[in-house]
Amino acid sequence: MELSDEKTIAASVETVWTALLDPEVLKASVPGCKELSGSAEEGFQATVVQKVGPVKATFKGDVSLTEMVEPESLTITGAGKGGAAGFAKGGANVRLSEADGQTVLSYDVEAKVGGKLAQLGSRIIDGFAKKMADQFFENFKAQIEGPSDEEASDEDAPEDSDGAAKKSWIKKLVS
Amino acid sequence: MYNFDLERPTRVADAVKLLSDSVESQPLGGGQTLIPTLKQRLASPDRLVSLGAIDEMKGICQDDSGRLCIGGATTHAAVAADGSYPALSAMASHIGDPAVRNRGTIGGSLANNDPAACYPSAVLASNATVVTNAREIAADDYFEGMFSTALDEGEIITEVKFPVPEKANYQKFLQPASRFALVGVFVAKHSDGVRVAVTGASNNGVFRWSEAEAALSSDFSAGALSDLTVSADDMITDLHGSAAYRAHLVKVLTGRAVSAA
Repeated sequence: MELSDEKTIAASVETVWTALLDPEVLKASVPGCKELSGSAEEGFQATVVQKVGPVKATFKGDVSLTEMVEPESLTITGAGKGGAAGFAKGGANVRLSEADGQTVLSYDVEAKVGGKLAQLGSRIIDGFAKKMADQFFENFKAQIEGPSDEEASDEDAPEDSDGAAKKSWIKKLVS
Repeated sequence: MYNFDLERPTRVADAVKLLSDSVESQPLGGGQTLIPTLKQRLASPDRLVSLGAIDEMKGICQDDSGRLCIGGATTHAAVAADGSYPALSAMASHIGDPAVRNRGTIGGSLANNDPAACYPSAVLASNATVVTNAREIAADDYFEGMFSTALDEGEIITEVKFPVPEKANYQKFLQPASRFALVGVFVAKHSDGVRVAVTGASNNGVFRWSEAEAALSSDFSAGALSDLTVSADDMITDLHGSAAYRAHLVKVLTGRAVSAA
């Protein structure tokens, strides 16, 4: 399964790049991620719980960042074993570029699933992988921009709360 | 299969209580999806709460406004035998195999919302109402994409209320091994317009084909569809059929359903 898409994030390319390397941001972005430890240089260890219909599997595996060209592009690769369920493996080539003071994040995702999951779920794996990739980059965008788009664009929403959320994340960066 | 405890409450309230305590519990309908999943060790709940012994959730009747009310724990075979909503009974009579039809339930199928299951298309096209232990949910608000629904954790489908359309028909292009719909289209002509619901085709599960609904509402004939095309974006691709093939089937089956209604 392969797919490509892009998202526009209201932040500078440098900010987006730093966020990509931040374990806290990654943890909050990976759908179903329960634990994530490690560092960008040495790789992360992750525990991810996924539920699709009646199936519920816990994947333990590694996430690594490679081919890093600061602050333009990198490759995120993850591979995990889900016990009896089988294994899942996925990678995304991510590119960052600037447009009107914002960052365009484009990605090509490739996902592979094996074992019983693949055997029993072939008809839904593509759709599910697409949903996961979409959620990951949606979450990632939300992590950087603060509360969800609707809230941010909502005129009633106080400016401060949006600003505060952004600040809190940037504060975390400098601390 | 891993070990689990089994509870068989006889009242909805008791089932709700069991599902809301601290033990990791999973409601069990007819078990036609869940049990094979457990056998493959793809899920390991600590406790199953069977809904099969709750008599108030079984059976079929009509309410004062003529809607067909089907209890959540009613089997496909019972719906197939009923006949008061012929298109729905015909659809139920072709789900899976006899074992599936005699064990599987309407509530279980809808709670699972498999993207290729038949029932979701009937509920959506009929503009049915899904009744739970807590509230009533309109069909348009109930389905939220592949395997996801508006149901909260521990919420149970107690009943489904179907308005009976003037005309209706379900056409299923069978995936012969699984007997799921490779594509299934349910067309229902109501007094206030036509609804067309498609299952099996989209990565996002059941959906309404609104262009066809508009065309059929002004002219209920297969010919009214001739100028329409279905986009293959976001359609399922697997070894049984490509996205383009499924998109093509949607139109063909909609035409057949209109002619047969």
